[in-house]
Order: sequence, then structure tokens, then C-alpha cells
Amino acid sequence: MATRAELALGILNGLLGGHLQRTRNPLATEMALYLNGRRIEMSLNALRSAYPSASTRVVVLVHGLMATEHHFTYGDGGGDTDYGRLLARDFATTPVYVRYNSGQPIVESGAQLSSLLGQLVGAWPVPIEELILVGHSMGGLVIRAACHAASVGQTPWLALVRRAFYLGTPLRGAPLERVGRVVARVLRAIDDPYTRLVAEVADLRSDGIKDLGDARHPVPLLPSITHFLVAGAVSARSILAETIGDSMVPVSSATHGAVSPEHVAVLVGVNHNLLARHPRVYERLKAWLSD
Amino acid sequence: MAERLAPWQGVVMLVRDVVEHGSRAVEKLQVETARLPFALLEAVPGVGEPARLVHAAHDVIISTTHRGIRFAGRVLASAVVAAQNDDHLD
Repeated sequence: MATRAELALGILNGLLGGHLQRTRNPLATEMALYLNGRRIEMSLNALRSAYPSASTRVVVLVHGLMATEHHFTYGDGGGDTDYGRLLARDFATTPVYVRYNSGQPIVESGAQLSSLLGQLVGAWPVPIEELILVGHSMGGLVIRAACHAASVGQTPWLALVRRAFYLGTPLRGAPLERVGRVVARVLRAIDDPYTRLVAEVADLRSDGIKDLGDARHPVPLLPSITHFLVAGAVSARSILAETIGDSMVPVSSATHGAVSPEHVAVLVGVNHNLLARHPRVYERLKAWLSD
Repeated sequence: MAERLAPWQGVVMLVRDVVEHGSRAVEKLQVETARLPFALLEAVPGVGEPARLVHAAHDVIISTTHRGIRFAGRVLASAVVAAQNDDHLD
């Protein structure tokens, strides 16, 4: 269970992460693996102690904007669970949870994730046969950026990734941020000190948030990996699915780049936040992993 | 202990930054807001010259006040961080 301080830090990093990083503020979250709220060091001993029954198949879960790994947690009647724990139960995998500064540029988070996964593969107690990547919202973009960074740098961990899952990931950007940009531009253009001040405050939002507005991300989904895309839709009506989608990301953005319709799931009635912790999403993941 | 102190120091740094940026923004707002009424007054024959002087004094006072606020914020933040470090060493 997340503490209030962890939740507040996640939100603060998402909002002002770039500033915290630039000013070397200790509140800036450094990317690392976390387990039960504790940071896990990347050494054989630390990993062996944190994961005594480490599997050869590792599931890497990456949270979204203004969140922490606790965002994946939900109650299933018998206590708290998450996709990582359920996959461990059903497929004998080991889940690892990434926490990072979601306010820094996505490309930077991707490069850091690539480096972290390289260290993970090197220090994991048993040889890893497969890395399964699961990202919610911005977490999916971070995964995509990490894979791209690894492919450019020819990093060995990439060869261990065969499947990646994107839950409500704005692969073609989030319109809400684009609306924010337009509003800030209009306010800035008005010759009034008060509206300009509001525009300046709006511009303080983090680089991570600004990156979410980009409709044409320069980084492609790698063809060497099978990508599974889950989109939420607050309504079955196509116009609402297209405009509002899961309340943050339109269906077309969350499913952009899909190679096969079999690798896409649109879940009506599941909103953006719930995509990180919903039994119906897990059923999809389980079905795809069983294939 | 140092790990426990770091978040508090981060909060102090953040409050200092908020004071710094907030003060700059408000200073700019006050100077810009006063510009139009002063410009009108400065255009009135006979009142123009004294209005220009008052305008300049107004801008100097605002600038000095905000510099003071920012300086006090920086000093206070440094003092709090130093006090925390001293407590930690004791």
C-alpha cells in the first residue's frame, strides 16, 4: 500500500519533475526498482535477497504519469494484488516494479530504463530467458523509448524481449495536452499581464506532460517485438471512443501501430486509470500470454 | 539519517524556488499593471513630469521589495538546511 508521501512524490515528480531534476532537488525520483515501497539496489546480493525465488522470466511493470508502482495495485477480494503478482501466480514469472520521475522527458526516462534493464539482466540471480514489458499510459511510451535506445545502442537485453504490453498508452499523443498547449498559447498572445501570468503558470508543467501531446513520436514500435495494445473506452459509441477514449487517451492513439487486430483489445467501460488495475485487463494479458 | 533528511531539504528547496519564481512573476505583474495608468498620467501636460518620477520610484520600490523577499527566502532556506544538518551531526 502506498504511503501518502509516496503518492505526493509521484504527483510532484509528474508535475515538476524536470525542475526538480534541473535543480538537483532530492525530491526528484531516481529511476530504480521498488518492492513493497523499498528501493532495490542493482547488485546480485540485493536482488537475491529481494527475490529469493527469482524466475528466468521477468515481468517489468512501468507506471504512468504522476504515479508510482502502487498504481497497479487493486483489491481482488482476497487482499491486494496487481498484474505482476497475478502473472507470477499463473505463469511462474517474477514481477519487478520500476519507479521513475515521470516529469522528465520521455526519451530520458527511456534511456534510463534501458540502462536499468541492462543492469538487471547482468545482476539477476538466474539467467533471464524472457523479459516481458508492461507499461501503463506514459509507462508504455517509456518502454517504447527504452527499446529504441537499446536497439540504437545494440544493448543485449533487447533480445530477451519478445512481448510488450501497452495499457492506455498515447502512442499518437494525448489530445488533452494539445488543448493545454493551445490554451497557453492563446493566453500568452493576449496583451494582459494577468492572462500572461496564467500562461506562465501553465507552462510550468513538466517536460513529461508536454511530451504526451506529441502526435508524431519519432520513435517507432520495434518490429522484432510483438506489441499488445489495450485501450479503454468510456462509451461504446465510436465518436466518444475517438474523442474521449478512456477519458485521457482516444482509442485510435492507444491502438496506433498495431500490426494485427488480434493484438488489440478495446475495453468498453474501463477508464484510463482503471487500465492499470482491472480484472478485465488482466484477463486479456493472461489470454495473450497463454497463446 | 541523511536519507531521512533529504526529503525535508527537498521541500525547503522547493519552497525557496516557489518564493523565487512567485516573487519574480508578481513583480513583473505589478510593474506591467502600473505601466498603463502611469503612461496616461505621463501624457497629461503639467502632471507628466511628476508622474514620471512617481512611476520610477514605484518601479524601484517594487523591485527592491521583491529582491528583499527573494533574498530572505534564500537566506531562510539556507538556514533551515544548515540547522537540519547540524541536528543530524549532533
